Amino acid sequence: MAQVSSELITPEIRRIGSRLACLCKSCKNTVGDCAMLACHYSKPARERIRDGQAAGKSDDAIVAGFVTEHGRQALALPPNDGFSSLAWWMPPMMVGFGLALIYWFIRRMRKPAVPAAVSAIDQKVLDRYKESIEKDLAKLD
Amino acid sequence: MENVGALSLILALCFSVYSVLASLIGQWKKRPFLVVSGERSVYAVWGLVTLASGMLVYALQTDDFRLSYVAGHSSSTMSPLYKFTAWWGGQEGSLLLWAWILSCYAAVAVYLHRHKFCHMMPYVTATLMVVQAFFLLLIAFPLSPFEVLAVGKEVTAVPDGRGLNPLLQYWTMAIHPPTLYLGYVGFVVPFAFAMASLITRTPGDAWIHTTRRWTLVTWLFQSTGILLGAGWAYAVLGWGGYWGWDPVENASLLPWITATAFLHSVMMQEKKGMMKVWNMVLVSSTFFLCILGTALTRSGIVQSVHAFAQSPISRYFTIFLALGIGLVVYLILDRLDYLKSESQLESVLSRESSFLFNNLILLASCFSILWGTLFPVISEAVTGEKISVDAPYFNRVNIPIGLFLLFLTGVGPLIAWRRSSFESLKKAFLMPAIGAVLTMLVLAAFGVRHPYAMISFGLCAFVTWTITSEFLKGASAIAAKSGQNLIAAMVELTHRNTRRYGGYIVHVAIVIMFIGFTGAAFNLDTTKEVGINDTFKLGRYELKIKDLKSGNNGHYKWWHAPVEVYQDGRQIHTLTPEQRLYATGDSSSVVDIRRRLHEDLYLNFAGMTADGQKAVIQAYVFPLVTWIWVGYWALLFGTIVCLIPSKVKLQFPKTKVVGVVSGKETPVAQS
Repeated sequence: MAQVSSELITPEIRRIGSRLACLCKSCKNTVGDCAMLACHYSKPARERIRDGQAAGKSDDAIVAGFVTEHGRQALALPPNDGFSSLAWWMPPMMVGFGLALIYWFIRRMRKPAVPAAVSAIDQKVLDRYKESIEKDLAKLD
Repeated sequence: MENVGALSLILALCFSVYSVLASLIGQWKKRPFLVVSGERSVYAVWGLVTLASGMLVYALQTDDFRLSYVAGHSSSTMSPLYKFTAWWGGQEGSLLLWAWILSCYAAVAVYLHRHKFCHMMPYVTATLMVVQAFFLLLIAFPLSPFEVLAVGKEVTAVPDGRGLNPLLQYWTMAIHPPTLYLGYVGFVVPFAFAMASLITRTPGDAWIHTTRRWTLVTWLFQSTGILLGAGWAYAVLGWGGYWGWDPVENASLLPWITATAFLHSVMMQEKKGMMKVWNMVLVSSTFFLCILGTALTRSGIVQSVHAFAQSPISRYFTIFLALGIGLVVYLILDRLDYLKSESQLESVLSRESSFLFNNLILLASCFSILWGTLFPVISEAVTGEKISVDAPYFNRVNIPIGLFLLFLTGVGPLIAWRRSSFESLKKAFLMPAIGAVLTMLVLAAFGVRHPYAMISFGLCAFVTWTITSEFLKGASAIAAKSGQNLIAAMVELTHRNTRRYGGYIVHVAIVIMFIGFTGAAFNLDTTKEVGINDTFKLGRYELKIKDLKSGNNGHYKWWHAPVEVYQDGRQIHTLTPEQRLYATGDSSSVVDIRRRLHEDLYLNFAGMTADGQKAVIQAYVFPLVTWIWVGYWALLFGTIVCLIPSKVKLQFPKTKVVGVVSGKETPVAQS
């Protein structure tokens, strides 16, 4: 039976824990919201946050300590610099690319306006088209 | 017995390879008997894979611990149901399930369509059997479920098996994997038809209709599988989450998203003959994402709690994916002429345009999930630095995308095919927009300040309004003509165009689910160390520990705490969360939940304190979470409605270029 404790679940510890990834490899949560009280990574991480706070360290200093020890994988979010900024920029870039593609598609596919020259077509043929269009429009949902 | 199973798989592999060759050569050399023998080989493959599956199930039920797979994933103390589910509890067995479901789909598809699409069927058969052969190759050789334990040259047995992970011994987990596989594997059939259409340059009217129905059925299985997994995580894992953005969860969502995009854009092809290339890309992407998902679960490429043990099969999947994608890209590029659109876009303000945006946003969501899932691997490969991409990233990127999709769910039905005017849009959007704003104002008046939650509820009101008004407009017209009451008129309306109104019901289901997702913004939780008669508060609830009990039933040790739940001084419920410790050393929580439509009260027995005197209870309040499960039933209903044939057969006129006015090079259209 797991021996656990609730003393590390405080808003202060959670505040910093939410900036740190739980590296237990069993979840994709942060240290702040990892629900496994006996987690082999989150539990000591919370204790370290508690000790850091007791020693009067700032939030940034505590987080920096984790980064020094575990590298930037200790952070819950990919940093927005260097290569890792691509994690943030690629999705909006793809949306932009998609919008450009739609713009190109609409321009290419858009039916040009019917010019006055059409009036040169036999009136009977034109009436037949109009009648057919009206029928189609009536059928459309 | 294990020899029969293993031989069945090898024979099935031979038949599937024969089927590919017979179908292709028969079609090429115009030898119909060879084509028919290729089709019949599909049935033989089904028979042989069924026999092998039966052998494995028999071995599991009879505790044949000579088999390595049975010893590793079953035990004599497990119930017959969970012995059966051990079929897919491990790597080898789950691949056998994949192969068996594919053989069923292939047999049904070949049987149903052998006359209707006779010129395409050899290629459909060949595509299905290539995929079948790939999976049979894996389970016939490197990952055989019929491997025996041996000491030297002598086959031996262990006294008892290791058993199935206790977390998997839960009813939704018994049906979640097969349902999800029915989704994953089912997408092979639309892909096979798409390949056959590309190879034979068959126009899309008939096969695309068939493909849409297959996609819809498999999409429903995939949705069901995903939600069963979410329900299992919620009820079993002890933290109340239903979605953790784990790579394996993401892998199941990716093909679902592309299939959803296909189900929308295929309407453009059916009604207007447009977006043929795009639909080919979507059908193919859905299939390849299914294969990628299967590979991610098994190869250890990404870290996941769900993943099977790492195995050397990633190179097989890599080769298969590379060859498959290369062939599809070649075929699409080579046949661009036949994939040309038959009509043109008449206005930017049209239903057609809304489908383009719908597809863009769905694909953006798919890309961001795939990118986030693979980014740690890419980052490490490029820079050598490990990066964590966890739930906060996925939430931050996907919540805005999800909200925009919800908005489009409401916009689509309001825009007419071909063209809409600003005036008509203003008229159509005015009341739903007022409804959305009013909803947000009311929420603000009640103290809600969470911006995403307010937007989400506002959009839910917007979409509900648009869909309800669509139903009411149509039903009122029918009621006025026929004299039926409004409910009967709505049923009649839906029956006249099941696809359209079934689709609207699915949209309502999505709204209901979004209400459930949005409730997460207001979750409450606390963790307390409590002894007998201790009380603590969470939200409007007061919780009192009535007792702390423990025992041993031979299968596992257990500890549980009956907790009385009070509200306003009145006892309303008793919950009994439990913790179990199995002989294998595995432990599991059995949470207890008071489920209500407005909120769930969720208790987890996390463990005992170091002195053994107090229990540690994790208590959660999850507002509106039940709406997610209610939404699923609405989704199921709506999808079934979509599959029912409409009473009125609608014909969709297409605009075609029939001539050019002399001297002006201006096309003249005909409907």
